[in-house]
Amino acid sequence: MVMEISTSDMKRVQLFEVIGRVDSTNAAELGSAMDKSVDDGKTNLVLDLGGVEYMSSAGLREMVRVLKRVKRTGGDLRIANPSERVREVLELAGLDSIFEIYPTQVEAVGSF
Amino acid sequence: MSEVSRLAIPARLEEVRQACDFVVEAAEQAGLDERAVYHCQMAVDEALTNIIEHGFAYHDDGSEIEITCQTRQDRFIVTIADASPAFNPLLHEAPNPSEPLDSREPGGWGIYFIRKLMDDVTYERANNRNLLTLVKRIAAARRSAAPGRAEDTYFPARALDAAAAVISPTGRLDSSTSLYLEHVLEVQLASGRTWLYVDMAAVEYIASSGLKVLVAAWRRAREKGGDVVLSGLQPRIVEIFEMVGFDLLFQVFPDLDTALAARPATR
Repeated sequence: MVMEISTSDMKRVQLFEVIGRVDSTNAAELGSAMDKSVDDGKTNLVLDLGGVEYMSSAGLREMVRVLKRVKRTGGDLRIANPSERVREVLELAGLDSIFEIYPTQVEAVGSF
Repeated sequence: MSEVSRLAIPARLEEVRQACDFVVEAAEQAGLDERAVYHCQMAVDEALTNIIEHGFAYHDDGSEIEITCQTRQDRFIVTIADASPAFNPLLHEAPNPSEPLDSREPGGWGIYFIRKLMDDVTYERANNRNLLTLVKRIAAARRSAAPGRAEDTYFPARALDAAAAVISPTGRLDSSTSLYLEHVLEVQLASGRTWLYVDMAAVEYIASSGLKVLVAAWRRAREKGGDVVLSGLQPRIVEIFEMVGFDLLFQVFPDLDTALAARPATR
């Protein structure tokens, strides 16, 4: 198992908990998991990265793509609990000003 | 000293993971800290992914990519050699991290990260191969045995009260010393001192790693209702600050006394 995504259907939010490693071999899988919710009209998304030990730019690319998509329909993709390393990478790419990032899942879910 | 470890992988995305593991192990053995190891892993991942997705896009004929790791003095050096058509990634324009969402293009971030994460990146074409060399400096933190002492020596911090502290770094704020400054600032923030007066009078050089540490502390301090206030910048440092726009971000005073006198009277 390199990456595992579990999706939870909450009242106002779709929660995606990701565990493992997100790179160019599986980033598309993460993107399509989120796409599926958006297809169903659920556009308030929380991506819990607490279990992500490593993420390459392929993962960031999918996140930006999905964010653009949900923003168009009034939704949002918010990030919870990124590790210090993943957070640093988000900042390097300037994505910390584009994504709302919360220290915990509860805060991210509650922000909607 | 300069023992070289070598790995060849078929040019396929599924193989990149193996190369990452290989580099992580070599970087750990070279004495890089956890953060630097992560940076190396990511730079190598991005470089290999680019080569495979672009260089070998049209001929997946089992070509190999060769990765070597070695340590020379205080530098951990990774080379990546491949036989795809000549391509110098360093000539490509880097994306702009401050670009708004709407105008963001999905690609191009690989090279950007490679440059940001490594201390030095060079490209050459030799023997019909692309040769990319990635260098990460091994931080002084690892080579000298007593980081605790170094903190006191170079970055004395003095608490003013429960909410404020003065930090007076000396010398060079580069990739090997900025870790200490980061640590010192972290400690103050963690103990609730969110007004950090960083007196830069004795700082003669600042690299991007030092700038990054200051911005990170500034962000955290602001989140907690405080600020990072700078004073005593030498002219060369002022120049760098203006170049990167930090003069607009930070409150900067000519000297520490003026900075402290301007402290807002709350509490």
